[in-house]
Amino acid sequence: MRKMVVALLVCVVSGADAQDKRAQLDGVWILSGSATIEMTLTPAGEAARARYDYLRDDPAMQCIPASFTRVMHTPSPPIEVRQQKNEVRINYEFMDIHRRVPIAPGTPLAKAPVSVPNHPHLGRSVARYEGDVLLIETIGQRAGILDTLGAPGLVQSNEMRTEERFIPDGDRMRVVVTHHDPVYYEKLVVTYPYQRLPGGEILPWDCTPEEANYKRFREKAK
Amino acid sequence: MAKMLCAAGLIALLCGGVSTAAHHSVSVNFDSSQVLTLTGRITDVDIRNPHSQVTLKVTQRDGTVKEWFIEWSDRNALVRRKVPFQLLRVGDMVTITASPSRRLDNLAYFRTAVLPDKSVLRDCGFEAFRQAIAKGQFVECEPTRPSSEQSAPQSQQREQR
Repeated sequence: MRKMVVALLVCVVSGADAQDKRAQLDGVWILSGSATIEMTLTPAGEAARARYDYLRDDPAMQCIPASFTRVMHTPSPPIEVRQQKNEVRINYEFMDIHRRVPIAPGTPLAKAPVSVPNHPHLGRSVARYEGDVLLIETIGQRAGILDTLGAPGLVQSNEMRTEERFIPDGDRMRVVVTHHDPVYYEKLVVTYPYQRLPGGEILPWDCTPEEANYKRFREKAK
Repeated sequence: MAKMLCAAGLIALLCGGVSTAAHHSVSVNFDSSQVLTLTGRITDVDIRNPHSQVTLKVTQRDGTVKEWFIEWSDRNALVRRKVPFQLLRVGDMVTITASPSRRLDNLAYFRTAVLPDKSVLRDCGFEAFRQAIAKGQFVECEPTRPSSEQSAPQSQQREQR
């Protein structure tokens, strides 16, 4: 009996600890160092990457975020995480992305809402917790360019499933993004280190294609 | 100092992991190993996202005027780093040091600007910013007095670092 009570107390305390630690994820964050990329491409992935031309293929030049992986590679714009009871909100300053992900363990991903209505190509996501780690799973990402900055020329198929783990550590946070895409990758894991930006706020980005596109230089340089 | 000034170019090296550096949009387009010194009149200042731009009319040695486009960081980053970009005013004669474009002969990436009062506008860069944040500090890129070397810039001088 005493052992059961002790075990129950341990569970309650560790649950509370996990909850306290989860709360650490809330805030505004900037990259604190190098993102690391572990990748093994399939032959199709290598071939697609070899065809990449940044002047022609980079969606950012049309103010379109290729993927959350691409968005998080941009060094200076911060991200903001706000966890609520049934939803996590992530605001990315780069490209003014406002992402809403239901915290709904067990919900089939196919039935999840698109997390960024004005950019439906970023897919459908569901969040849940693994201890103190926030896990977001995503499918329904449109086939095309995945990254144009961290590892430019990476592509994705519409079979890709992505797991993002937000790992709290006080005023530090790691986001580990694992892409499962049998068409283009044997392995693709990107890890982003973040540090809290005290007093930080997400500013408007207001991207316009004519200002984002390098074509303006080519035209003006004539 | 030089590292701080060309931070935008170095971000790729510092932030990108294994294969970032060679393909970063800044380092792909601009050669941060070269410094270009341009003296001319500002005709336009557009501080915006994703890249700011200063337009400069430079009188060349043969008397012809060449228009230069100076690319810079995004507006939000400059605001966060408290870079006083409003000191760049249309109509002012300034001397800008910049990294030249790899492809175009009238495009470069901003490093510093010597203003009409001889103070030097600089950008401390993202690396200095985030290191300061990690120490619980903030960066303010106050303009500084130029060194004697910077006070006598030559138009379109190209230096190898």
